[in-house]
Amino acid sequence: MKRFSLTLISIGIAGAAHAQQPGTPSATVIAVPPLTSPDSGNRGNEMLAVGWDATQLIVADLQQTAELMPLKPNRDDYYSYPEVTAPTFSKWRAAGAKALVTGFVQSRPDGRLTFGCYVYDLDKGRNLARKGFVIAPSDWRRAAHKCSGLAYTAITGAPGIFDTRIAYVAETGIGEARIKRIALMDSDGSNHRYVTPGDTMVLTPRLAPKATELAYVSYAGGEPNVRIVTLSSGQERPLILADAISFAPRYAPDGSRIVFSMMQGSNCDIYVVGASGGLPQRLTTSPGVDTDPSFSPDGSKIVFESDRSGSQQLYVMNADGSGQRRISFGGGWYAAPEWSPDGQWIVFTQRYAGGRRIGIIKPDGTGEKQLTTGPWDESPSWAASSREILFQRTDASGRSGLYRIALDGSEPRRVNIPQDGSDPDWSGVMD
Amino acid sequence: MRRLLPTLVLAVAASSATAQFRLPTIIPLSRAPQQPVLQGIDALREDFAAQSGGTTVYFGIGSVILGAPARAVLAAQAAWLRRHPEVVVRIEGYGDSGDTRDHALAVGASRAEEARSFLVLMGVPSPQVSITTLGKERPGLGRAVTILVR
Repeated sequence: MKRFSLTLISIGIAGAAHAQQPGTPSATVIAVPPLTSPDSGNRGNEMLAVGWDATQLIVADLQQTAELMPLKPNRDDYYSYPEVTAPTFSKWRAAGAKALVTGFVQSRPDGRLTFGCYVYDLDKGRNLARKGFVIAPSDWRRAAHKCSGLAYTAITGAPGIFDTRIAYVAETGIGEARIKRIALMDSDGSNHRYVTPGDTMVLTPRLAPKATELAYVSYAGGEPNVRIVTLSSGQERPLILADAISFAPRYAPDGSRIVFSMMQGSNCDIYVVGASGGLPQRLTTSPGVDTDPSFSPDGSKIVFESDRSGSQQLYVMNADGSGQRRISFGGGWYAAPEWSPDGQWIVFTQRYAGGRRIGIIKPDGTGEKQLTTGPWDESPSWAASSREILFQRTDASGRSGLYRIALDGSEPRRVNIPQDGSDPDWSGVMD
Repeated sequence: MRRLLPTLVLAVAASSATAQFRLPTIIPLSRAPQQPVLQGIDALREDFAAQSGGTTVYFGIGSVILGAPARAVLAAQAAWLRRHPEVVVRIEGYGDSGDTRDHALAVGASRAEEARSFLVLMGVPSPQVSITTLGKERPGLGRAVTILVR
């Protein structure tokens, strides 16, 4: 895998930039004039072509959100370079927009591109955010995603999901002949690729916060064991050296530690170990199954599932294993929790008499809400924005696919992947 | 763990156990004779299943407790394994279909471990028996299967 480098540069414009909440319940209309270029001649035309591709990708990104509604860009609506830093606010206000995102693409003598991105509040007539990147020409998609994220964050205050990755288990074949491979793609479905070759059964990929590496469960040794793969090099290693069944890995939000489950006899407990190895520290000791641990965003707490009370329920403990307390008391069984990146919610799979569905609950056990109707939903994973959840849904014929659902209760949308998929995991925003 | 009274079914799945396991390819060498255990493993598997009353023990939904029929099968397996100390077995544990993925792995591992512990209790040397869990990844939920490895 190619390593992406975005060199952040400072681009000049006066005035303070800071995020603000528009405070309107409906979507904010945002203008996206075509990205322009200061270059002239043939080179200028090339840069304008890259800028137009980037403009369309930014529009596609923003269209996917519930909070922003981009105006359809017009390629003939030529946008001059000076306009990037000094937009005609009244013109875009008249078009019905409240915000504007645009930028420029400039060629550099070393063959790379400078990519500038600017976000404006049209009512107040001021710059909300700006960012510049130096990129390889082939990385224009990521630069455009970064630009979408800059606009989304400046307007909503939440991290964007555009420059993030999704890992999942790609499934082909049925029954004994089923082949499972770890697959990885950008959150918009581009750059789809396979991380494992399919000769060994694999489960539950979990991306490091910035998608630099991935923890997963492999049957290469005959029993399930957690392995770590560095995505830039493809280099692999076992998480721990002990000869024991291990699974359910998840990174701490700062990437420094990994929590996971390990069997000792017929007892399944939760352990934590440094992401680069070391001696695992045991965090739970109850008989029965303690599994699926997930850190709070500040790394101080861990939510997990345990059947110590007789059925699977959610528990929260301090990151050192102290202060374990149950937070789920509704009907049915609660499993596979994941703490939201903003800390407000815990998503879980609820097992009920008719199947499995996805719900959310606050870390103190209040505010429980059912998000999906099932009947065979599982493996929920948060978007970096904390406003959307990716999960697995299995249909009546036993085939599984990936779906996205927003917290506002809208219908789940199917994610396009080349084959069946399970165990999705959504990364944080990449560097 | 749920302490339900397990529903137990006596195992009869002898042929399916051989069907789901691929043997390593044996390359004949002119000088050294092959290990008789390897060559005869199909016959051994058949004999093991017939003498033990089955390769498989079943569990109630959510349960990891061995009921009397399961213990009877495992006791017969143990007697056979004590007579064949050269044979190594692996017990594959399975979860239940309604389970979430990781809970199914844990339950499968616990079921395999319960079966392994019982064999050891019945006098089978513990290096002779290993375990793994298939969770809900393969057909055959709610059971533990003893498979002759070599």
